[in-house]
Amino acid sequence: MRYQPDRLDLTLLALIALAGATMALTGVTRGLLFADGAVLAIAAIKGRRILLDYLDLRSAPPLWRGLATAWLMLIVGFAWAVSAVSVLLS
Amino acid sequence: MSTADCEQDEAGWGVFEGLPGDPMMWVLVLSELVAFGLFLGAFIVAHAVKPAIFASGQASLDVTLAGYNTIVLVTSGWAAARGVASARANARRHARLWLLFAMVLGGAFVTIKFFEYAQEIGSGIGLETSVFFTLYFLLTGFHLLHVCLGIIILAVVCRRADPTHVETGTIFWHMVDLVWILMFPIVYLVR
Repeated sequence: MRYQPDRLDLTLLALIALAGATMALTGVTRGLLFADGAVLAIAAIKGRRILLDYLDLRSAPPLWRGLATAWLMLIVGFAWAVSAVSVLLS
Repeated sequence: MSTADCEQDEAGWGVFEGLPGDPMMWVLVLSELVAFGLFLGAFIVAHAVKPAIFASGQASLDVTLAGYNTIVLVTSGWAAARGVASARANARRHARLWLLFAMVLGGAFVTIKFFEYAQEIGSGIGLETSVFFTLYFLLTGFHLLHVCLGIIILAVVCRRADPTHVETGTIFWHMVDLVWILMFPIVYLVR
């Protein structure tokens, strides 16, 4: 019988691939505003996958998906905005 | 509304209905997310205020080890989620094995983090080296404490491998995973 990967397996593969992409991006373009934005965007994607598939919020009421995603986006957005303002002012 | 209806309403969990696991764990996780969110926010603001000190501090960190730890922790989260699926399917032996795997990977995270701390302390870095390292040790140490607590919680729910208990325990574990996913770029990478 052939093993069929399910959503959890695909999420794990995506998370590992995104972690690898983060490391690669850091090595190539360290310190650039674009790199910071890309690294934070990848973190937001990884966080969303954890919320939906590991924490199982995909089947939870939309209110909880929205609240958890808002928390995630608030931190990522704040980090990026502060980083962008610092670069523009320097 | 009859008295019986009122009693039924009181017995329910209102907005927490429909979430996996025990609602009290969600209350704890929400309060933890607020605490970590404020902590990360303070780190981001301090970074903007003292960019040179933070750049110098980040340059002393081992990004590769932190990257390995990200992979270890997301794999551990996957094992815990597999444990939930097995417990729901009433395959308790499998659930225990998955949770054990998640705990072993959690132990690997702790070991790597201690190794990283040892490297840093060995090169003369401490809590009072700079504002960056004060926040770094407090933030990552607070998270590490949660990883250790998460391993204990997984060990407790692993014993019976009851579906609701496993769901409840793994919620905390995934919260720890989620916080690290944000902490890694904010503390180690964003300049």
